[in-house]
Amino acid sequence: MNPYLAGVLLGMVLLVSFYLTGRGLGASGATRSVVIGAVSTAMPEHAEKSQYFSKYLGNNQMKSWLVLEIAGVIIGGFLSGAWAGRLKLKVEHSPKISPRRRIYFATLGGLLFGFGSQLGRGCTSGAALTGMSVMSLAGFVTMMAIFGTAFALAYFFRKNWI
Amino acid sequence: MNTRVILTIIFISFGSIAAMLPKQKISSIQLEADDLLRDIKLRTHLVSTDELADLLINHDPTLLLIDVRDSVEYGKYHLPGAINIPLKELLDEKWLPYVDQLSKHNIFYSNGTILSSEAGILCRQLGFKNNFVLEGGLNAWFATIIKPEHPGSMATSEELDQYARRKAASMYFTGSSAATDQNSAPALPPVPRKKKKRVQGGCS
Amino acid sequence: MGPLVPLQNISNELNLLIAFVIGLGFGIALEQAGFSSSRKLAGMFYGYDTTVLKVFFTAAITAMLGLIFLSFVGLIDLDIVYVNEYYIYSAIVGGVIMGAGFIIGGFCPGTSFTAAAIGKIDAMWFVLGSMIGIFIFGETYSIFQELHMSGYKGAVKVSDVLGIRDGYFALLLILVASAMFWLAELAEKKFRRDDITKEI
Repeated sequence: MNPYLAGVLLGMVLLVSFYLTGRGLGASGATRSVVIGAVSTAMPEHAEKSQYFSKYLGNNQMKSWLVLEIAGVIIGGFLSGAWAGRLKLKVEHSPKISPRRRIYFATLGGLLFGFGSQLGRGCTSGAALTGMSVMSLAGFVTMMAIFGTAFALAYFFRKNWI
Repeated sequence: MNTRVILTIIFISFGSIAAMLPKQKISSIQLEADDLLRDIKLRTHLVSTDELADLLINHDPTLLLIDVRDSVEYGKYHLPGAINIPLKELLDEKWLPYVDQLSKHNIFYSNGTILSSEAGILCRQLGFKNNFVLEGGLNAWFATIIKPEHPGSMATSEELDQYARRKAASMYFTGSSAATDQNSAPALPPVPRKKKKRVQGGCS
Repeated sequence: MGPLVPLQNISNELNLLIAFVIGLGFGIALEQAGFSSSRKLAGMFYGYDTTVLKVFFTAAITAMLGLIFLSFVGLIDLDIVYVNEYYIYSAIVGGVIMGAGFIIGGFCPGTSFTAAAIGKIDAMWFVLGSMIGIFIFGETYSIFQELHMSGYKGAVKVSDVLGIRDGYFALLLILVASAMFWLAELAEKKFRRDDITKEI
């Protein structure tokens, strides 16, 4: 789909979300809910003692807005991919590197992003995209930090991509 | 013309219109101003001293009297069973469950009607339901219930009835049981918690 | 008047259902934009595919204009709509770390779920990595707590900081974005990599 059209579509989804619920989109919060759910079931006392996790304990973690939204994202992505014929189980990587190397970097990238999203109070969906549309300063600062750093470091990881 | 150019033109047009819009403060609360005015006109939010006397004598369980004067005046005299929420504290976190709820009927009162009306309007504007104002306040309470005036020899039968009831109420409220009530402020009744209005958002 | 859930006292269950449906729309939009491909996302930083920029800014501007106009006709109360809270230092440091994660992993959390949904194994590892990263953050929180909580400025809006109306800022952003769209097209021509673009 034409990127501009896709952008308008995404903007509409965002707008509907604001109109219906007063909040925008988000993703990292859902991952956090899953982590906390897992930690509190496996090691409940540890979760209570932890300064960070204890803040989110209490109600059923998995019954949160973001978790259900991400469930929708997964199914929506699947449906769209199925309709466009893009469903395929594979490791997507540049032909210049091995799939194993790609997986290492993907995991490392995820780790950094997960960590950073907690520190930065959001990811590109929640902080940057949603933040920009409500004109929040936090949104813009986070977005500029994310993209600025990615551009700055692009040279060092070029072998993985081009 | 490619998509980018079309989109840019559309965006710049709408953006220019947006830039010209005045900084309007459209608030969900303002739209209730008409309702507010209608209520004031119909006086549906007012409770007369006779009605209050009835509620108190019948020990109506849904009643909660709220004295909005300061604590000194409250200490000197307050209506039986009334709790004290000084007007300036009305919107404090700790009182919110009492004023923003759907199970009890709150009746605000003060010496006259000014303070209690302010409390009533404030709550009404914020969308809280079940809040009423004692018309005339304590001044009217004393004049009509505690020391009711005989309507005179030209009175109608309804006025005489009303006087009789008020006399009975006066005896009820000034009897020995009423005196002990002044020494203690009643314990705050438990109130069901209502959902908070603020929206959660972002990735948190 | 919107937002409906807080103002119409909509039940939590219905709110969650709305979340799911919105998520569906989000996932479809992301996948249709092609964001379930890490090589497409990374292309932004090497110039051969600037889809990220186009989609991002178009979406933000669409929603921004939508909010301004809805507010003008009285259909939405902007005071209730959530505005991200600004903690200076954690926003910057968190953003830097996320930027590193973006170029290394090639995804962001939202797109990683979409990509995992269509079968990309590297995206699934990214999701796993992000869970580990969050867990590590929770465990080492005492070290970062001060950074995380300092510099709180409240829910600041850019238009307030610059002292201009919301609409003015929107127009400003549109003009900047238009320039960026134009530059992006130039970059795609200059840094063309047909061998990659036909694969993703």
